[in-house]
Formats: sequence, C-alpha cells, structure tokens
Amino acid sequence: MSFRLLRADPRAGRAATHRPATIALWCVVSILLTSCAALGIGGDDEEGAEGGGNEIVFWSSHGQPDIGYFEDMVADYNATDPDSPVRLQRVTGEETDVAQLMTAVRGGTGPDAYLLDRFTVAQRAEAGLLQPLAPYMEEEGGVDEFESRYIDFAWAEALFEGEPYALPMDTDTRALYYNKTMLEDAGVDVSEFDPANGPMTLDRITEISEQVNETDDSGAYTMMGFIPWYDQGWHYTWGFDFGGSFYDPDQCQVTPTDAEIQEAFQFLYDYANQFDPKKVQSFLSTEAQCTGPMTCEAIPPAQHPFITEKLALNITGNWFIKTIEQYAPDLDYGVTYIPTPSDRQDQPSTWAGGWSVVIPEGAQNPDGAWEFIQWWAGEPGQRAYYEKNAALPTLTELLGDESLFEGNLKLFGDLTDVAESRPALPVGALYWDELTAAQEAILLNRDQPAAVLEQVESRVQPQLEEFCPLQ
Amino acid sequence: VAASNVASRRRSGRRRLGAIERRNLRLGLLFIGPWIIGFLAFLVYPILSSLYFSFTDYSGFGEAEWVGLSNYSRMISDDLFWKSLGNTFYYTALAVPIGVVVAIVLALAMNQPLREVALYRAALYLPSVLPIFALAFIFVWILNPRFGLVNHVLNILGFDSIDWLGDPTWAKLSIVLLAQLGAGQYALVFLTSMRTIPTSLYDAAKIDGAGGWRQFRNITLPLITPIILYDIIIGISLGLQVFTPAYVMTAGGPNNATMFYVLYLYRNAFRYGDMGYASAMGWVLLLVSVVLALAVFRTSQRWVHYEME
Repeated sequence: MSFRLLRADPRAGRAATHRPATIALWCVVSILLTSCAALGIGGDDEEGAEGGGNEIVFWSSHGQPDIGYFEDMVADYNATDPDSPVRLQRVTGEETDVAQLMTAVRGGTGPDAYLLDRFTVAQRAEAGLLQPLAPYMEEEGGVDEFESRYIDFAWAEALFEGEPYALPMDTDTRALYYNKTMLEDAGVDVSEFDPANGPMTLDRITEISEQVNETDDSGAYTMMGFIPWYDQGWHYTWGFDFGGSFYDPDQCQVTPTDAEIQEAFQFLYDYANQFDPKKVQSFLSTEAQCTGPMTCEAIPPAQHPFITEKLALNITGNWFIKTIEQYAPDLDYGVTYIPTPSDRQDQPSTWAGGWSVVIPEGAQNPDGAWEFIQWWAGEPGQRAYYEKNAALPTLTELLGDESLFEGNLKLFGDLTDVAESRPALPVGALYWDELTAAQEAILLNRDQPAAVLEQVESRVQPQLEEFCPLQ
Repeated sequence: VAASNVASRRRSGRRRLGAIERRNLRLGLLFIGPWIIGFLAFLVYPILSSLYFSFTDYSGFGEAEWVGLSNYSRMISDDLFWKSLGNTFYYTALAVPIGVVVAIVLALAMNQPLREVALYRAALYLPSVLPIFALAFIFVWILNPRFGLVNHVLNILGFDSIDWLGDPTWAKLSIVLLAQLGAGQYALVFLTSMRTIPTSLYDAAKIDGAGGWRQFRNITLPLITPIILYDIIIGISLGLQVFTPAYVMTAGGPNNATMFYVLYLYRNAFRYGDMGYASAMGWVLLLVSVVLALAVFRTSQRWVHYEME
C-alpha cells in the first residue's frame, strides 16, 4: 500500500514531497520490524534476546542474604558443566505475590525455573501457571521414586490434586532466639532459657520482657524484651502454639475461629494492650521500618533489631543462625523453644515451611530446567543451601543425618519431628493475607479476636468452596 | 453507513475531498498509523478484553469461565472492597484540593520577578522528575518516628512525635503528603497560564489601588480557573488510581488503612489469581471516575472563566 502511494503521484517532486511519505513509511517499517523482533517472528535467531541459546533462566524474588547464596549455588551448578548453564535473575515479588512471574509467563517471556514458596504451589498450579512434573519423572524412575526421597509434609505441599508440580528445596522451623548479654544486663538468669528445661511459659516471658524494656524521656521504647508478632511471630506460629487447627480436611473448611486460635489471638491482643499498641508500633516503625504490626519492609539484615541489639527475644527460623554469623558474629545468643501457654509446656510447637523450585508454563528450555531443578532440590543443592543458610533439608536421607545438626541448629532439626505445616490450599495466599490483616487489627487493639477471625472465615471459605472437595 | 455519510455531509455541507486532500488524508493516516496500531493493540484491545473477563472466572491462564454478573455482585458483600473504595475517596478528597493549593503557591513562587528565579523553578520542579518509587523510599526515612526529619521539626515546635506510617490515622495523610512532592508538574502548568495574563490588567489594578492579595484574588485566580479545572480532573483520575506509595511503603497497612482500590485490585489479580474479579473492579473504578469527572464539569460552569468574548 505504501509503495503504491509513493508511485501514485507522478507530479510530486522527488525530494520535497516524497519526504513526509518516506518518513512515515520508515516509521511504520521500523515499528513493524521492532515488533516482529519482540514477537520472535523474525526467524529462529532468539539468542540475541536471551543470551545463550540453551541457557536456563532462573528467577528468584529473594533479597539479601539469600540471593547471594543462590548466586554461589548457581555458580556451583554451572561448574558441573551442564548441557544448559543457568542464569539467576532477581525479580520483584514476595511469598504470595508472583505478579512478575504471571505477567511474564502470560506474555511468553517467563523463566525456565522459579523459586516458589511451597505452600502456594497448589494455588499456582490450580491457576495454570506451573507445569506438572510427572511426565519428567517418568523417565527417572517415576513419581513414587521422587516421593520416597522427600519428607512427607514437604512432598504433600508440592502437590495439586495429587500431582507433583514442584520439587521441595528446603524446610525450616521456628524457635526463640535470645540475646544473653541483653538479658543479663537486665538481671535475668539466662540458664532459664536452656532448651533442656523445655519451653518457657508465656507469663514468664512477658515478665522478662518487661524487665528488659527501656524507654526515653518521652516514654518511647528504645529497647524491648519481646514482641511476639515480630519477624516469624505469625498467626500460624501462635495458632499452632496454642494447639489450634486451621483447616478441617473432612469438611473442606477453613477453621480460623477454632477456640485455640482465638485464645492465641487473645494472648496477642492482651500483650499489645499491656505494652501499649501505639508505643510498640512506634518502636517497630523506628527500629525495623514496619508500617504496621505485621507489615515490615524487607530491611537489610544488618538493621534487624535483634542484630542491632534493640530486641532481646525474637522468634525466627534456622536461617537466622547464618544471618547472625555474617552480620553480628560477636552476638552472644542462644535458641530455645517458642514459649507456650502454661498448660502446654510439655508440647513444644513450631511450624515448618520452605521453598520449592518449579518449571513455569511456557518455559523455553524445560528439559534443561528439569535437569537443573533435580540438582537444586537434590542432594548437591540441598547440601549447599544447608551450608550457606543453615537450611534444613527436605531429603529424608539428609535430614536423618544427625552430624549435620550441631550447636544451635540441633534444636531446629529436632523440631522437625513436632512441626506443623500450613494447610496447602488453593486459596493459601488469600488465607495467609486475611489472617495477617486480622492479626494486625487485634495488635492495634482495634478489634476483638472473635470478630476478626469470623471475618477471615467469611472471606476465605466462599473462595475455597469453589475447589471443594479437595483431593 | 451510506445514509449516515449523506447525513453528515448534508449537515456540515462538506464537498467531496479533492485529490490533494485525499492524499493529505492518506499521508496523515500513515503518519499516525503507528499510534493507531498502538492504540488499538495496547489500549482498545485490553480494555475490551477486560470488560469480557469481568464477566468470567479467570486466573489469567487457561479457559475463562462465564459467570455473568457474579463478580459485580460479589463486590457488594466484600467489606474490603468498600473499605478500599472509602480509603481511595478519602485520599482523593484530601490530595486533590491540597495539591491544587500547593501547585498554585509553587507557581506563584516560580513567577517572582527575581534574577535567580530559574534556579528556584528548577529546585521546586526537581522532586517531580524523581520516580515516585524512589521518593517513597526516602519518605520512609523522613517519616521515621524517632529519627525522621519531620518528627524532629515537630518536636522542636513542641509537638509530640507521630508514628506517620504505623498509625492507621496518619498513614493516609502521609501518602497525601508524599503526593505533594509531585506538585511541581502542575505548578509548571499554572505558571504558564499565569505568564499569559496580560500585565496591563495588573497595571490597571495597581492604579486602582489594588494590593497583592486583591490582584491575586480578582485577576490571577479567575484567569487560571481553566487550569484549576484541568488540575482537578486529572487529580481525581490519578487520585483514584493511587497505588505506588502504598505498594512501596505500607503494603496496604496498617490495618488496611492504606488499602487503596487499585492496590486491592492488584492483589486480587496477582496474588489470588482472580483476574475476573480484578477486571470487574477496574470497570467499576472507571464508572466512578467518569461520574466524578462529569460532576466536576457540571459545577465548573459556575466557577471557571474562559477568556471568550
């Protein structure tokens, strides 16, 4: 069409009148060329866009320090001279936010492998974002062979409708870290915290916390003993600690209003109330850039209030051992069980989570990715991640190797025996977010536990029912 | 089609296009061709598909399942939908008028007959060119309850410290404050408008004995009302879409105090994989924006002065 236009007007002087048409034509042509290149219409030369032709693009949304460990591990893998080398890219996102993955996969520019929080595997598989792994496993001894290698709960989290969509990479458990120096300065005998004594009671921890707290002239906290909801003090942590259950598989029913979960929320409500919710929040905003009790910026590890010795007691996971080693090697600390209500001292509690590695739909190099994720979630990868991040393995064989769990890590390893896990539901992310919002409301003492937990149920259950009955 | 062509020709009394005009038309179309293609592919097509998806249950992958109006009826019983809409109205109702005032004040400052005015203009405009993402991160530090600049000033003036982002009552106001860093953009438009006001008007006013305030009140302000209207319309549209500050600084917290409409829409789309519901929310927001814009236009006849003879 455009060429005809150029020739159609013999009266026009060459230079003067053709120029606009020529420019317009070039605009159109260049835009078409650009879009062809972007769509890959131009031929089979796709190497320009993605680097090496058979490269595996591997995405993670982790920040420091984890992303640094992953870079080392990818380098380890590439050093084994695989058919397809791996390129790690850090992308935006968080545990329950996979916007970049979704849009990229939809646009045909997704990665070959992705690190996904394991408890959301069912949800993302249901959405159609992930490739089923059974066809790949068939060539390597079948699904049963893989199932037998991994610990049960981790394997169960990698399934949707009974089919595997992920390989479990690690697990983790939570416990109470205590700063010996800070406690001793406040006149507390730290031998109380010895895990050999079992879990401490919440009443005792509250007393100790009060002893450690310090305020400035205006009454603002400058140092605190314990903030039960900071870091890994999630709804699940406390719900399980009080003996609660979040899901009833027989009824296909979420159960946030379970009596024990209500008790746990009541404890959090009272604790916030005792120490003044606004003042505690102000402390968290100052020391940890939290903009809500449950909403904290991903701050550099060096600014964590336990590392900066502003907070004496903190519930977090096994990975924090390495964080302390790296950022505060001289910190004198220990770990013990999460404190329990006085009638549950014989039942230490925690929950286990962990990450998994998946092959998204539309992966350019799924076979290479399959090779890679077997390494990553297999013995070499798990061992490397254990060494770098004190990560607990999900391979039965490694987790059973007691020589791996020494010092402070021993408690975390032992806790895997009693650890609960979050229900792996296709509405797992929604359930998590709703519980978090509910917890935030009671921590600000804005609402009562029963009311907010009922609301969680009324918001999550209708969404869950679309999937019932679950396999 | 033929009938309407005839009708329009009759109405406008247009004759058939001559050869040169046809050629110009073709050339013109060719020139804007890339834009038309982009407009159709990147705006019209997504907009229409989102209308379709708003009537479906769709995760973004696989088949979309037709569910009729159920996404729309779900909003009625969704507390968080109403809360996010309320938050967004609250934000817009504060951010737009404050934004207009700040922009006018900045424009007045930029319009002073000083030798180094170019320097001030650049300084006042500078924050507008910074990405809101970066500003938000800096703002978190400026608003730090104990070590932040804002509270430091408050303390000097004898006020108590405020937990700007951590206190549900203040969190939305913090984001309104942050929005003012972008006021330079609008200030430039106001400045341009102020510079077109004939100086003879001010000269006449001065002879009549009008002071600075009278001049502003009776000359400057009426003559920039078209720009104020523009600013309000754009401000409402952008205010209803507020997203980045809450996404970066507060993630919707504390206690959903900064859970704005688009943030909640984003969550439904990308966290919960509920594209159908998110699309429906998008369309409701469009309707709300149109209604508000129309309402503003309606009132504008009473207060906007156009310089038309």
